[in-house]
Amino acid sequence: MSDVEISTTVKRRDFLNGIATAAAVGAGAAIMPKPAQAAVTGLKPHYGMLIDLRRCIGCHACSVSCKAEFDVPLGATRSWVEYVEKGDYPDVSRSFLPRLCNQCSKPACVDVCPTGATWKRKADGVVVVDSDVCIGCKYCLLACPYDARFINPVTGSADKCDFCLHRVEKGLEPACVNACIGDARIFGDLNDPSSKISREIATNPVTVLRPEQGTEPNVYYIAADHSDEYTAAAQGRYVRIDTHRRQQERK
Amino acid sequence: MTSRRNFLKLGAVAATATAAITGTGALTWAKENRIKGGRDYSPTTGKARKAIPSACWQCVSRCPIIGFIEEGRLVKVEGQPNSIRTDGKVCAKAHAGPNQVYDPDRILYPMRRVGKRGEGKWKRVSWDDALTEVAGRLKKLRDDGQPEKFMFHYGRMKASSSKLVGMFLANYGTGTIGNHTSICEGAKWTGQELTWGKHYDNWDFDHTKYVLNLGSNLLEAHTNHTSEAQRLVKALADRRIKMVTFDVRLSNTAAKSTEWVPVKPGTDIAVLLAMSNVVMNEGLYQGEGEAFLSFCRATPNVNASTADKVAALKAHLASYTPEWAEKISGVAADKIRTIAREFATTKPAVLVTYRGLVAHYYGPEGERAAQMLAAITGNIDNPGGRCKAVGAKWKFPSGPKDKPTAKKLKIVDGFKGQAKLPTHHINHQIFNVIKDGSLGRPDVYMWYCYAPVYSNGDCKANAAVMKDETLIPYSVCINPFYDESAALADIILPDATYLERWDWEDMVSPNQVPEHYIRQPLVKPLGEARNFGDVVCDLAERMGFPLGIKNMEDFVEKSCEMTPGVKEAGGFEYMKTHGVWHDPKAKPSYYGYAKPVKAADLAKDGVILDEATSTYWNWKKAKVKTVEDAKAKGYAHTKDAYKTYIGQKIGDKVYKGFKPDKVNKTGYFELYSTVMEDNGFAPMPTYKAIPEHVAMKPDDMILTTFKVNVQTHSRTQNCKWLTEIYHDNPAWINPASAEARNIKEGDRIRVASGIGHIETTARVTPAVAPGVIAIAMHCGHWEYGRYASGKKSPFVKEDIVHDKQMWWKSHGEHPNWIIPNDPDPISGQQRWMDTVVNVSKSVSA
Amino acid sequence: MNAELLWGLPVIGYLFLAGVGAGALTVSASVLLRGGGGGFAGQHYSIARYGAFAAPLPLMIGCGLLIFELGSFEAGNWFKWINLYKTINLSPMSIGTWLLTGFIGISLLYAYTFLPKSPGLGGNKDSLRRGLAWVSVPLGIATAVYTGVLLGAMPARPFWNSPILAMLFLVSSLSTGVAIILLLKAVFPGKAKDEARTPMVAEYFKQRDNSAYILTASDLMLIGFELLVIFLFIMYAHLTVGAVKESVSVIQFGGSLSVLFWFGVVVVGLLIPAVIELYYVIPKLLNHQPFSVPLGVEIIVPIAILIGGFLLRYVIVVAGQITGPIGL
Ligand SMILES: Nc1nc2c(c(=O)[nH]1)N[C@H]1C(S)=C(S)[C@@H](COP(=O)(O)OP(=O)(O)OC[C@H]3O[C@@H](n4cnc5c(=O)[nH]c(N)nc54)[C@H](O)[C@@H]3O)O[C@H]1N2
Ligand SMILES: Nc1nc2c(c(=O)[nH]1)N[C@H]1C(S)=C(S)[C@@H](COP(=O)(O)OP(=O)(O)OC[C@H]3O[C@@H](n4cnc5c(=O)[nH]c(N)nc54)[C@H](O)[C@@H]3O)O[C@H]1N2
Ligand code: SF4
Ligand code: SF4
Ligand code: SF4
Ligand code: SF4
Ligand code: SF4
Ligand SMILES: [Mo]
Repeated sequence: MSDVEISTTVKRRDFLNGIATAAAVGAGAAIMPKPAQAAVTGLKPHYGMLIDLRRCIGCHACSVSCKAEFDVPLGATRSWVEYVEKGDYPDVSRSFLPRLCNQCSKPACVDVCPTGATWKRKADGVVVVDSDVCIGCKYCLLACPYDARFINPVTGSADKCDFCLHRVEKGLEPACVNACIGDARIFGDLNDPSSKISREIATNPVTVLRPEQGTEPNVYYIAADHSDEYTAAAQGRYVRIDTHRRQQERK
Repeated sequence: MTSRRNFLKLGAVAATATAAITGTGALTWAKENRIKGGRDYSPTTGKARKAIPSACWQCVSRCPIIGFIEEGRLVKVEGQPNSIRTDGKVCAKAHAGPNQVYDPDRILYPMRRVGKRGEGKWKRVSWDDALTEVAGRLKKLRDDGQPEKFMFHYGRMKASSSKLVGMFLANYGTGTIGNHTSICEGAKWTGQELTWGKHYDNWDFDHTKYVLNLGSNLLEAHTNHTSEAQRLVKALADRRIKMVTFDVRLSNTAAKSTEWVPVKPGTDIAVLLAMSNVVMNEGLYQGEGEAFLSFCRATPNVNASTADKVAALKAHLASYTPEWAEKISGVAADKIRTIAREFATTKPAVLVTYRGLVAHYYGPEGERAAQMLAAITGNIDNPGGRCKAVGAKWKFPSGPKDKPTAKKLKIVDGFKGQAKLPTHHINHQIFNVIKDGSLGRPDVYMWYCYAPVYSNGDCKANAAVMKDETLIPYSVCINPFYDESAALADIILPDATYLERWDWEDMVSPNQVPEHYIRQPLVKPLGEARNFGDVVCDLAERMGFPLGIKNMEDFVEKSCEMTPGVKEAGGFEYMKTHGVWHDPKAKPSYYGYAKPVKAADLAKDGVILDEATSTYWNWKKAKVKTVEDAKAKGYAHTKDAYKTYIGQKIGDKVYKGFKPDKVNKTGYFELYSTVMEDNGFAPMPTYKAIPEHVAMKPDDMILTTFKVNVQTHSRTQNCKWLTEIYHDNPAWINPASAEARNIKEGDRIRVASGIGHIETTARVTPAVAPGVIAIAMHCGHWEYGRYASGKKSPFVKEDIVHDKQMWWKSHGEHPNWIIPNDPDPISGQQRWMDTVVNVSKSVSA
Repeated sequence: MNAELLWGLPVIGYLFLAGVGAGALTVSASVLLRGGGGGFAGQHYSIARYGAFAAPLPLMIGCGLLIFELGSFEAGNWFKWINLYKTINLSPMSIGTWLLTGFIGISLLYAYTFLPKSPGLGGNKDSLRRGLAWVSVPLGIATAVYTGVLLGAMPARPFWNSPILAMLFLVSSLSTGVAIILLLKAVFPGKAKDEARTPMVAEYFKQRDNSAYILTASDLMLIGFELLVIFLFIMYAHLTVGAVKESVSVIQFGGSLSVLFWFGVVVVGLLIPAVIELYYVIPKLLNHQPFSVPLGVEIIVPIAILIGGFLLRYVIVVAGQITGPIGL
């Protein structure tokens, strides 16, 4: 079998090929108790995330676990949690909005990349960056309507959440999902109607961020507070957003 | 540099290829099928990271964890998926654990001061030199018959560490031991000791239907944080239970509650008493509450009937009407009534309290009032209620047989008369007491896991005494990090961080089933850092009283081999590989008080029934000379008689009851406390206005301090991943209060108390009650390394990478400069939340 | 202004210099073609020559600057930018890269054809020159427009996401292109006496001032046009709602960039030069008096236009980054 051969070669690049392969085999054999639903639908997986904000306590476990997983440099964030505080005393609320790359179906970042370093994987819909190819022109950083990307000072390349592919391919959950104290984050296959994420999306009102940008995000929210300071200011209401990242203003 | 391209590209290929192999088409994993954790891979090489089970200690909750090692380096920490306490979750602080190990400002070698004390000049010495010096001083004191002149002061020292270090201190012979409970939640424990005995309440969120919270921020803090927070959030989201939170500001807990009720600081007692008033007057105690009353003491007469008790409670509470409480607390009478009714009629309901209720003048009365409300609604130690906590019971080596009788300086309970029942001591007074000198002074002051300068009130005074060599001749700091107190030491012994240490652990279980777990090193201690547990074994050896324990690992190993259950499961080896163990057959523990005492236990030598209290106790164990003396003096008035408590006679049965601790209370759940009475306080929970608040001028404000979810006290600001998120602690001020002082968002403001002032930044927000100014306690370090204070420790070489990445310039302001060390008159609890301050726009800005 | 700029001075410089280069070349080529287009290009040769020489350097420096802004360069991978040439795709940056590269080559070749000081002296270069000129006009316009498209391609940057931006950049490019030619002409006037070797060349020098007039007059037109485009830009932004309106408010009164924009771009870069140019153009235009401009003015006006052109790029690049989609 060709992929087994790939995994036995010594070169790093080839070894990396092997990760995916070996993982898929291992996971397929060990973890999958029944044929996957996709076999029935005939569709490839399409990964997505659902964050149920009724269960989110704004604890930042997701952000910090992500930092650790990838040793994300200071100042940069693959994952962060915004606080939305609003109202007038004593009717004040604070809600939480964990953020990450939306793995858009129409990724604005991909459209502008001059080198082809970033693309959306056909296999599972995850938008990835190849740091070997990326020149760090920052075009995608500006094009992303969610400020989800950054230049990694170590590699000099664009970087962002990749749904923890290296874990996902081994049958693990993304680090932030595994860390989530409220079990607010659900990761899974949007193409599989029986997956938990599909079922939750089907049975709850969900929203995505900035749908008008046309990017078709694959990160969904239940009970998200979409308030923003701009609209509130226009209406004379108090809304305060704490981004808890270096970019103190939401862009 | 990594080549990810083919990996990224070939994800697709691989998936399809596999499809061919397995014949099931492209792969998907439903979430349900994914591995629950306990494994991790390098994102750059794809190699499995080595997983080692251990335990967190970023805060006192001590959750079980798994550490992941890549190329010899600790890269990641996650929750232990097999833990029944945490269900594999840990909080943000735990995830930042690697930052503790690799803090570029860490102390890696023993250091001896060379300049003047506090001057910041240090010389590296060998461990042998350091310990020869320390052991020399200690041994001399001991040989001179003055072991009490060695004062040991600790902060968070728990489980096996406290046992092994305790063994060392006991064998050395000093009883001059300080802790930090009186700056923590001592008043809560005193309140519990007066009502149900040994402290620690567990809130059974798995089964509750209603949560009433006064002053706990358990979704951000709490001493059993991760395990309780996740259960609470599930109860709120899955079972849609109602939760009402009283707080002076909108904590995240208040924000997640169904309702936030702002309350005037220090007045929750009034609200609680008024709620009890409603419950009694409206007959809502009937049913579970009434049944529970048979285990309560509500009158001087221990054998009173339930009707008598009801009458006594009604009489006591009569004047505490909701209207009365409204005037005091600012909470509308109707609201108090509604919440009281909901709480009393939704079964089971849990009453949750923490430092917001108790870190005040008369704090223990707050806890007693809470206990009363929980009791009369029948929500004590029941599924879904306020339970008596359970934790793992370890067996451990007890050390040398004959120990010297400990001698101690009476300096840890403050000055005479400062508090009547300091069951957890009054350690925030220690520097005042030392300065005063009339109660004696230690010759050697050693502190461990503790930040005396920073964490107590009145930083300036603390530092002044610690710096003064005439007051403290010799000081030893045990710390991996260079904090404000270490800067004032004579010698620093670099401790191993919690991720490099051994321990067994026993923290309370949120589900009433005890769990045994251990901490083991994830990496070898960096530099020459050494676990303090190992150091005390070494010190004892050097002073000629070996403990018979080689080091902490040895202690943990022996404990594993001695502890029933753990031993059978495979002992030390099992614990090293699995990290956690619990008895799979164990049932959650509830209603422990209602268990009968075995007749055999009552028949034991020395056991008698105290007529006045209907309490069985053991006069012999209480070291009373004769049974006649014992009977004459009685249980209540025999020193430490509580230690010999056997059971409580109620009617004609004898129950285990609510076992006393620290004070001679009966086995009843005491709503009526003769201990309080004997000490000149009202026997039943009583509201007393905070004197300083009564004397407030109209434009004064009340300063309150709090904790945030990503920082622990003074000890996590060196963690870059946490401090990146929270490095500044602006003062929360309500728009109305701000406007009255012409203060705008972001203004520099001056906050002045009786002992000084600080300048900080205003955060004008409706999320805090008018008249209250709230400042988180974590920021404003002036040492503790670059991430915390912007200042490197004196031991560190240039570290360009770290410096370049650190982007925040502000380090916040510490409120403890202006909070005096002020004990509550009952327990001696530091009154963190009572300080009256004057707030104005800063003139210098 | 809390936001950190991802694209800073290098990119601003790049957009400006590429615009100047493209503008100069386009102007040069069209002047050349317009001036009879014949072998000798008659009266306009000198102007075209200034333009031809003015173009390559800004284009090359501009592109060079871009490299400094690359994350890979900052991280020490000096030559990773080569990856830009390993592919071509629909990214405006990819298209722009190839476009500019080709354009730089052409500009160099084109400049080479102008090495002779007067038309006709270069022999067989004439047809090459003319051919290159025919290519340069559309390429120059494309390059100038592209700098606007580069920014405009992102819906996430409402300030930029407008077709008017490309127009604005085009007009500004041409105007700064004219300005650099005028500036060079003022600084390096050349010596008529020495060069008037043939009658034809002498005639050429006679008409030189006339061409300067034409240039100045067309610059005036460009400025007018630029003002119109700016007006449209702001008016449409003002009349809309939401993110675009909000983003454009940074250059409106009270906005953080308003002073720089209104004083730097509009007053210094457009109005003052326009007024001065008008002052000198009017007499000839209305009264057919000879067109003559003092040297000081000849230097100051183009510099003001160039400053204005730079500030325009500055304001736009910054404004686009400190504003974004509103709402979430
Ligand atoms: N993240 C984090 N977790 C921690 C710690 C930490 O430092 N950081 N520390 C650990 C330790 S040792 C402890 S003791 C616990 C402490 O846990 P908690 O006691 O829950 O936390 P605190 O922030 O001390 O105080 C709780 C709340 O009391 C509120 N409060 C102040 N005054 C009043 C009042 O008069 N009435 C009412 N109703 N509320 C009031 C404050 O606004 C605050 O939200 O947390 C433990 N866990
Ligand atoms: N204003 C205000 N002040 C407060 C509070 C408040 O709410 N408001 N809360 C109070 C409460 S609840 C508490 S419990 C106290 C806590 O006060 P402390 O007991 O002083 O606790 P920490 O600040 O957690 O840590 C103290 C020291 O432990 C050191 N340390 C960290 N890790 C290790 C280790 O592995 N080994 C050793 N040997 N040392 C280590 C740190 O460097 C730090 O210097 O603070 C109190 N102070
Ligand atoms: S969120 Fe941004 S970076 Fe992520 S796929 Fe969408 S456009 Fe690209
Ligand atoms: S920064 Fe890298 S990934 Fe982003 S657009 Fe430029 S080359 Fe593509
Ligand atoms: S999926 Fe992975 S990379 Fe993305 S935010 Fe979560 S932890 Fe970070
Ligand atoms: S870990 Fe979960 S609960 Fe915590 S902030 Fe992130 S999403 Fe919310
Ligand atoms: S609550 Fe968080 S910091 Fe505290 S022990 Fe648990 S995981 Fe560690
Ligand atoms: Mo505490």
